[in-house]
Amino acid sequence: MSTGWRRGLLLSAVIAGVLSVAALLATGLGRDPAVVASPLVGRAAPAFELAGLDGPAVRLSDLRGQVVVINFWASWCAECRVEQDALKTTWSRYRDSGVTVLGVNFQDTTSDARDYVGSLGIRYPIVQDTESATALAYGLRGVPETFVVDRAGRITDRVIGPVSAQRLADKINTLLQAGAR
Amino acid sequence: MSPPTAPHAARWLPGVVVLLALVAAAATLTVVGVRGEPAAGTRADQVQQIASDLRCPVCQDLSAADSPAPLAGQMRHQIAEQLAAGRSADQIRQGFIAAYGDSVLMSPPRTGLGQTAYLLPLLVFGVALVAAAVPLRRWRRPTGPGEGAQPDGALSTADRRTVERALIRLREEEGR
Repeated sequence: MSTGWRRGLLLSAVIAGVLSVAALLATGLGRDPAVVASPLVGRAAPAFELAGLDGPAVRLSDLRGQVVVINFWASWCAECRVEQDALKTTWSRYRDSGVTVLGVNFQDTTSDARDYVGSLGIRYPIVQDTESATALAYGLRGVPETFVVDRAGRITDRVIGPVSAQRLADKINTLLQAGAR
Repeated sequence: MSPPTAPHAARWLPGVVVLLALVAAAATLTVVGVRGEPAAGTRADQVQQIASDLRCPVCQDLSAADSPAPLAGQMRHQIAEQLAAGRSADQIRQGFIAAYGDSVLMSPPRTGLGQTAYLLPLLVFGVALVAAAVPLRRWRRPTGPGEGAQPDGALSTADRRTVERALIRLREEEGR
């Protein structure tokens, strides 16, 4: 093989390598950071029984047959405030249609959590994950994070960061329609 | 057979040194791989060892053993509880993988796509071996008056023809 051919082959290999890495990076950059693959989506939601902030304790198994929106939040989390309107809208719109919105308070003090709930006028049930055991079972990477659980108790969606009312409505409508068939 | 002459030995020496270095590196890696991590003693050591394999989910590239984050502390607490309940280190790791996926591991898994991380260095090692072999082959070649030189120092047929043509040209020029 001549030197020219060798150089050409080497150059082609280098260009192919650089293009492969660029393609990989471009694929990653094009992804929605709020949509993170979770091994839990499609599987049974981890069971929990958590004490209510000011109400009764909530056991997930007691909500079987309902669509459950589980929202992890904290009073010190600025982005959690961004999604409050979406969660309150979802609760008021679907609460009589077999849907529960459940706020799970994460790494917070009881007094701060109460102040937050009172100041924002939150009416849906709030529970406290005092030892973060539920957060770990759900693979939490921070707050806010929201999981949508279907009537059979399977996780169907996970959103990292503030969730929108539209996304919740789309998911809930699909699940309610599937359940009505 | 006569002992190698000094220039002959000098040609081989770099190759031998490279080969010895590669063998030493391979032996070290094998010993480390076979021995693995030292066994943990106390329960706290066990917790620390398992936590060091797991990534703190709310940190930037810190293990659950090293992170001061409360969630990492809770992971260590859960590990201790599960060890006390008689679960093995592997079962505990699998529990975290079930919630977080393979990304919770500080080292990639040795199955599926994670194997790439282990196979790629071997591939690079192989390519480096081949790359090292090319100059070694060149060193081994006799440095005579060009390709096709005779071992006794005599001219090759091609060289002889070149010299003959040059002589003919010279004579022609002298004859003018």
